[in-house]
Amino acid sequence: MSSTPERRPNLYALTWRLPIIFWQFIFFVGPVLFMVAMSFFLVKNYRMTEAFEFVNWTRMLTRGFFWDSYWYTVFIASVSTVCAMCIAFPAAFTLAFRASESTRRWAIFLLIIPFFTSYLVRTFSWFVILSESGVVNAMLGYIGLGPYTMLNTNFGTLVGYMTLTLPLVVILQTVTMANIDKTLVEAARNLGCSPLRTIWQVIIPLSKTGLIIAAIFCFILSFGDFVAPFYLGGSQEPTLPILILDTTKSGQQWPRAAVVAIMMMLTLFAIAFTGIALAYRKGRGAK
Amino acid sequence: MSKPLVVFDKVQKHFGSFVAVKELDFEIREGEFLAIMGPSGCGKTTTLRMLAGLEAPSIGEIRLNDRVMNDVAPHERDTPLVWQSLALFPFLTARENVEFGLKMRGVDKAERKERALKWLDKMGILEFENRHISTLSGGQKQRVALARSLVMEPQILLLDEPLSALDAHLVIRMQAVLTDLQRELGITFVYVTHSQSEAFAMADRVIIMGKGEIAQIGTPKDIYRAPANQFVAEFVGRNNILSGKVASVDGNTARITTASGDFTVPTNEVLLIEGHKASFVISADLVHITLEEPEAGNKAYCKLISEEFVGSMVTLFLEDAQGHEFKVQMQERELSKIDPHSGDEIWLSWDTQSAHVLNEG
Repeated sequence: MSSTPERRPNLYALTWRLPIIFWQFIFFVGPVLFMVAMSFFLVKNYRMTEAFEFVNWTRMLTRGFFWDSYWYTVFIASVSTVCAMCIAFPAAFTLAFRASESTRRWAIFLLIIPFFTSYLVRTFSWFVILSESGVVNAMLGYIGLGPYTMLNTNFGTLVGYMTLTLPLVVILQTVTMANIDKTLVEAARNLGCSPLRTIWQVIIPLSKTGLIIAAIFCFILSFGDFVAPFYLGGSQEPTLPILILDTTKSGQQWPRAAVVAIMMMLTLFAIAFTGIALAYRKGRGAK
Repeated sequence: MSKPLVVFDKVQKHFGSFVAVKELDFEIREGEFLAIMGPSGCGKTTTLRMLAGLEAPSIGEIRLNDRVMNDVAPHERDTPLVWQSLALFPFLTARENVEFGLKMRGVDKAERKERALKWLDKMGILEFENRHISTLSGGQKQRVALARSLVMEPQILLLDEPLSALDAHLVIRMQAVLTDLQRELGITFVYVTHSQSEAFAMADRVIIMGKGEIAQIGTPKDIYRAPANQFVAEFVGRNNILSGKVASVDGNTARITTASGDFTVPTNEVLLIEGHKASFVISADLVHITLEEPEAGNKAYCKLISEEFVGSMVTLFLEDAQGHEFKVQMQERELSKIDPHSGDEIWLSWDTQSAHVLNEG
């Protein structure tokens, strides 16, 4: 392209690119810029007024409740990521190494099905299963256990997060591991590596990139999720999404909610950036 | 030297209804360089994988040092394999790759490093110790793969077409490296290949496999000069195969009538019965060419179709009046004395003792 003597814009390509550029500006870049601007606005008599004051930032970032919520959200999203990665791994491993090509195809198809129904609906169905008089406690009752409180606890939040993230994490892990060169696994066995050790020595290093990307997705989805902590976790300890809702409700503090949202975006940006850098670190990881 | 290290005792391998290996019954001697050769799908790689424990025999027994290996897991064997794709770990450096097997065997860090460095040095790639695999050339990777297997100091090394991905000039160099290593270390090499030149250049003994069975076992010379049957004769190539009926048997020689004429052949140990079908083979390099008709003996009058030069060797492709193809291989300087051109008609002849009767089957 650059070597053509007469450089005029390729109108054809531009025509097709314009809608997406337009869309990104109107619905992503614009709102983000507006949100950043809004975080400096002031609220007077429940009305937002344009201003350039740092008061929202200092108010939020010097308050204990913000940081409590912040670290709690980081913590619960991390626990969710670890849980999802660990629960998904045996399933993905089996699908990638033990199942036939057609079984794997069907399994991935079935794992996509949960996304057909609303996440909210799937979350509500957990009430029936987890409540004090729900299915799980009824069954535990037969063997003389419980009832256990599972709703409105961290456990409930995690169940919600798993509902949201597990199918995706299993799919990503399966696809990653299915693409491993099987002769490398055989080579490890041939050199005296037991099957269990092969997982650590060969399979995880080879699928590192895909595994890290799966973990990033899981963290991002859990970190920003409102439904699970609100409905299943009971929101006694508010996560950041709940904090945003609370802040907008109480006194129409949209500017302060914007501060929380920006902090969330920065955090996710840092996590995604570090994760991707780690996943593609030179010389390591699957080629 | 002659003690069997490995015994394949009536081994079969089935994948579902597909029979990959029909019946293998052979021994691998201690310290020999054995090549297993055959066309693709003949079961040669399956045979090697069974020896490494990556496949289990369906029927029969494989014994290594008199120990039945059928149920021994691959990681509990001492049968390192060099893969066609090399199967080096891309997330490790050259040295870490070589150390891998020692690490799995619980060798401590200092000794691991020392032994790995020794082998990298021996293979002439010490300077690439800390390089990642993706930054090495094909020949360097090859050497890392060999070092990774040999550092285990095994009794037997398995190689699955390890040179097939290399450039022609590197193949020749690696062949020398392999034969030197094998002689120096005195360990048994089992080398699977579809390349006749690789097998014949390196091996002490060659097994020719076809359709899951052994077609012939012997030294390269045996197989080249005295192929056991038509399959081997055709596979080894550059042979003239003539088929016909036995006209008469007279002591150590027989007369065979073919479409291309009557020929005298030595019977060797093959049982020839008058009136029965028989085939014999003459190596392309044992055929002489002349412009005048030879006085007596085995001869055929042919038209030259084409020539093929490989360095100083020339292969002539000829056809007789019946359309039967003949091949003649000779030195280029020999050929230039006669200097035939395509379309010229010349006489082929060969000594009776050059012919070799095939066992049918």
